[in-house]
Amino acid sequence: MYIKDNVLDFLTIRQKNRLKIYILCFTLVLIIATGRLWLVMVKNGDEYTDNATEVQERERSIKAPRGNIYDRNGNVIAANKAVCQISVIRRQIKDEETVIKKLSELLQIDESIVRKKVSKKSSREIIKANVEKETADEIRNLGLDGVVVDEDFSRYYPYDTMASKVIGFTGGDNQGILGLEVSYNDYLTGKNGSINTTTDASGMKIEKNLERRVEPEAGNNLYTTLDINIQQYIEQKALEVKELRNANRVCIIVMNPQNGEIYGLADVPEYNLNEPFVLNYDHAGDTTMDMLNEMWRCFCISDSYEPGSTFKIVTATTAFENGVLNETDNFFCPGYKIVEDRKIRCHKVVGHGSETFREGIMNSCNPVFMEVGARIGVDNFYEEFDKLGLFSKTGIDMPGEATSIFHKKENVGNVELATMSFGQSFQITPIQMIRTVSCVVNGGKLVTPHFGLYVSDSNNNIIERLEFEEEENVISSETSQRMRNLLRDVVAEGTGHNAYVEGYDIGGKTATSEKLPRRSGKYIASFIGFAPVDEPQVLTLILIDEPQGVYYGGTIAAPAVGDIYKNILPYLNIEREEVSDEEEIIYIPDTVF
Amino acid sequence: MDRSMENMENHMERKATRRPQKEDRSFFTKKRGYMDYQILFLVITAFGFGIMMVYSASSYKAVSMGYANYYFALRQAEIGLAGLAGMLFVSKINYRWYKNISRILIFICIVLQLIALSGVTGGESHGASRWIYIGSIGFQPGEIAKIAIAIYTAHICVSDPKNVESLVGLAKSVWPMVILMGLIAVENLSTAVICFVIMVVTIFVACRDLKPLAIMFMIAGVVGVILILTKGYRGARILSFFGKGTEAGDYQNEQALLTIGSGGLFGKGLGQSIQKLGFLPESHNDFIFAIICEELGLFGAICVIALFATLVYRMVYVAFHAPDSFSGLLLTGIIVHISLQAIINICVVTGLVPNTGVPLPFISYGGTSLLFLLCEMGIVLNISRQIKFKVKKTAPGAKG
Repeated sequence: MYIKDNVLDFLTIRQKNRLKIYILCFTLVLIIATGRLWLVMVKNGDEYTDNATEVQERERSIKAPRGNIYDRNGNVIAANKAVCQISVIRRQIKDEETVIKKLSELLQIDESIVRKKVSKKSSREIIKANVEKETADEIRNLGLDGVVVDEDFSRYYPYDTMASKVIGFTGGDNQGILGLEVSYNDYLTGKNGSINTTTDASGMKIEKNLERRVEPEAGNNLYTTLDINIQQYIEQKALEVKELRNANRVCIIVMNPQNGEIYGLADVPEYNLNEPFVLNYDHAGDTTMDMLNEMWRCFCISDSYEPGSTFKIVTATTAFENGVLNETDNFFCPGYKIVEDRKIRCHKVVGHGSETFREGIMNSCNPVFMEVGARIGVDNFYEEFDKLGLFSKTGIDMPGEATSIFHKKENVGNVELATMSFGQSFQITPIQMIRTVSCVVNGGKLVTPHFGLYVSDSNNNIIERLEFEEEENVISSETSQRMRNLLRDVVAEGTGHNAYVEGYDIGGKTATSEKLPRRSGKYIASFIGFAPVDEPQVLTLILIDEPQGVYYGGTIAAPAVGDIYKNILPYLNIEREEVSDEEEIIYIPDTVF
Repeated sequence: MDRSMENMENHMERKATRRPQKEDRSFFTKKRGYMDYQILFLVITAFGFGIMMVYSASSYKAVSMGYANYYFALRQAEIGLAGLAGMLFVSKINYRWYKNISRILIFICIVLQLIALSGVTGGESHGASRWIYIGSIGFQPGEIAKIAIAIYTAHICVSDPKNVESLVGLAKSVWPMVILMGLIAVENLSTAVICFVIMVVTIFVACRDLKPLAIMFMIAGVVGVILILTKGYRGARILSFFGKGTEAGDYQNEQALLTIGSGGLFGKGLGQSIQKLGFLPESHNDFIFAIICEELGLFGAICVIALFATLVYRMVYVAFHAPDSFSGLLLTGIIVHISLQAIINICVVTGLVPNTGVPLPFISYGGTSLLFLLCEMGIVLNISRQIKFKVKKTAPGAKG
């Protein structure tokens, strides 16, 4: 203002205003540019910085080895094998064509796929992971600019097919896909380390910038409840039975009923964990995902079935718990029982005649249990199911557990109650069955079946004992005692006598259930057995799916368990009882007299 | 500010007149003493800051080309010091004298542009022969053309003000410039556009009637679109701006944004840019502003913007009080030149407009640009020297 008064201006007011218009535009653009700068630098600055860092840094990752999986005795059942990862750094590539040609040739990948990856804009592109060491060495020896070979680990399963459905496998990124590899993934996965080098645009290291080195942390090891000797034996046995009976599938679970530790779970046919994408049977044509899923599926956990007569254990337990039954109660079996308008048959068409309950369970007589079921009533029955964990998942440390399928309580009429009391018209998973029975025989403790024992760090120091839920006094110990005695009789003198092993006190129950739809001639033969009766240490469930020919559980399933016990009971140091005097055959050498 | 005002006051007392005098057409300004020291200070600051940033941004490139790390910075400093000397010399030259040579200057520029286009002096830079080489020294005649056009436009506006207000008169007046701009546009559209805007804004400020100018503007718009469409890389650059372009065009803009974005509020610190290590092409040149952002952050960027704003506002101040219409309009042209280059450069770097090769005035590496810019500032300083002051009637001892 001061100056203006003293200066001669020659531009007219109009001219000055015109110039002001231009300056206003200029100022406006500067404000917009400043706003834009704030947006890029401050508001979205982190994003741009990260992208820039990604372009600038050459990150060489140091792979962390995944933790091993051991059986209960420290035998390695899942480990790592050194492999290599091939990647390209686009800026360092000098001869793109040669790189593409050589890589596609040696790695046996289509040239167009390699070309696509090589010409991608990213600073580093992985061409192939899990490359065998020899191939990787060959590529390394070519000395191609811009091709990087990194050491990597790939999962390796020393026993190929053993416990495949339990252990599961990992994907190319070393992440668990199935089985224990998934459920314990967080423990097993290590933390990758890295060497971050800031480089210039040509990928050369910048001297003054220090390398940032982040050490990898190895994954923790998992000790499982599996015992490879038991596992291998039951798998062998399952295969044998499968071959013998021409069955679809044979499942065997061996569990400690006191704490839910699973010693072995066989589900044959198993598949090769080292080649999980190869079908375990001959098949012409393409392998579909459905076929693979079917092959990987663990029947014992992910499928439900009608338990049939083994479920009579639950019916009897419920009746004892509700005080509506005594072992000596008398029943009469004419070979069927009429419930409302239906005539429900016993498996013995001519009937068992007059019998006590004790004999009824030994005979696995359906009318007896229908009668018992009627005494219990729906409400008490369902209440007991709930207590015994039949309505809930077992909580086993495996992915993909299925749930049971029961009628809604209000829909259960007399017919349904009758069929349920001998194990039909509902579905439970095998793992639920074994859990419920373990509760019945172990004195009333509902355990969680599990495979995880403890977790150790890379130096094999135990860092975490894995705990699983247990519920005490689900049923009274007295009921448990009575059930054990009854089931001992089933093996000693009843339908389960084929499971009898001399010198061992074994209890169990057979079952033969017809698969749905009825009258298809497809059966599941099963047997659940435990030993020793007074303090059960091993509980075994065997399921034979669709056996050809003889399909009775007592005939084909029970002897398999007998064989298993003959071998694993001594192995588990369960003392052989002295055979009582009167049954012992005493050989008296002739020469004495 | 206060001091310069005091100076002015003193001079004012010594020699000030209200009455228009016979025009002083002497080559050197006789008047001594006051000139606008603020502008001088701002220019030297920008230039010094520019050398520092050029050193920071170019040392990696210099080393990788086999030179000493200060190679580019030293060249910039050498040319800049020559430019400063030139500026001080030009600030002595009476701006009125340029009226005598305004037309000749345009024709010299046309000739130079023809020489550059013919490529007889050899050399190709950036795929377009916009350079003239004398020995090993190259310069872009387009840079002189900007000054020539500012002078010539101001001249035609004051020599016959009515003439430029009719379409025919305007066409008759501007044709040499149209030829010159056309020649420049062949290889360097952005310079041609800057020349055009200098001319248009100057006429816009000078004229009462804007119709002829508007018609000329529309014709130029059509010609401009045709030029964009006929030259391969221009279309590609514009396409790439709208996200449909080739990778090469994208890459530079993408990298520029990464560079700016990694600056944050206060930057990585002087010399700490990573993007200058070959990731960002032209990092010491057209994209030096991105490196400023990365190293000095939003704070540094705003300082640079503020520097240009202050410089421009100060020049507007001088223009408002220019000693005659010619100098006011000449200043308008120069203001447009510097402000337009600054905003185009900043907008390109921040991704607001498509990629063009416009340097950041005083700061970007580039000999011709810096040299002529400094000389141009010499003209501004000379005009500021000749601001006429009213007689302060109340002041004691004032002469009538």
